Amino acid sequence: MQLMRTLGPGSISSLLKIILDVVYVALWIGIGAVGLGALSALLLSFDPDLLGSFTMNFNGDKLVRKWPAIIALLITVSFYLAGILVIVSRLRRIFATLMAGDPFQPENVSRLRVIGLALAALELIRYALWGLSLWVIPGGTRVGPTLSTTPWFSVLVVFVLAEVFREGARLRREAELTI
Amino acid sequence: MPIQIQLDRMLLKRRMSLTELADRVGVTIANLSILKTGKARAVRFSTLAALCRELDCQPGDLISYDPHAGDADDDLE
Repeated sequence: MQLMRTLGPGSISSLLKIILDVVYVALWIGIGAVGLGALSALLLSFDPDLLGSFTMNFNGDKLVRKWPAIIALLITVSFYLAGILVIVSRLRRIFATLMAGDPFQPENVSRLRVIGLALAALELIRYALWGLSLWVIPGGTRVGPTLSTTPWFSVLVVFVLAEVFREGARLRREAELTI
Repeated sequence: MPIQIQLDRMLLKRRMSLTELADRVGVTIANLSILKTGKARAVRFSTLAALCRELDCQPGDLISYDPHAGDADDDLE
């Protein structure tokens, strides 16, 4: 017995679409905040007097004033958030087609490919973040990199899904042109 | 598409409009236009039977094969 519909209006898809909409707005706010932080850090770095009085603590360790690294870290974080934003925005559009009950639209193929590429980019940015955190945070070796195969497996799954959607779109087109 | 639908010729022979045929067969005018203009990918036997019934003809009168006509398979890529 089907308890709840997965496609169409008022379905699980529409619920997920609402959640994605909220996440999308939150991500824009997050990117704005981190971007402002990066910009502020960049501007502060031009004034050595201000830097002298600025220190931060991280888990009891003093965060040394390596401004170039901190700026690079903030920029990398904003890139990471932008990557997530790309994924969420494409997912929103895909879920809009699911809500409409018509998932096999040709545009969904390219959207899934973009998601796959963004997932791969995010994983690479995560490695960069880990490298930068080692530079910025003293004793940062405790923040070990999690070299997992799962993200790369997900990337491949998304690319395969894109091809499944391409086949679905082809069949849909054939069905439309069958009289 | 090497397969061609001779719907225009049959409609002219029977002095029937596309709208009238669409009503009789139970297919939308839009779909019948797709068929008439050769954009259709496939025809259901039920549609073909209804067309033959209303136009009083055989499937061979409606469908012809021209090996030199272009293939529309690329449209779906």
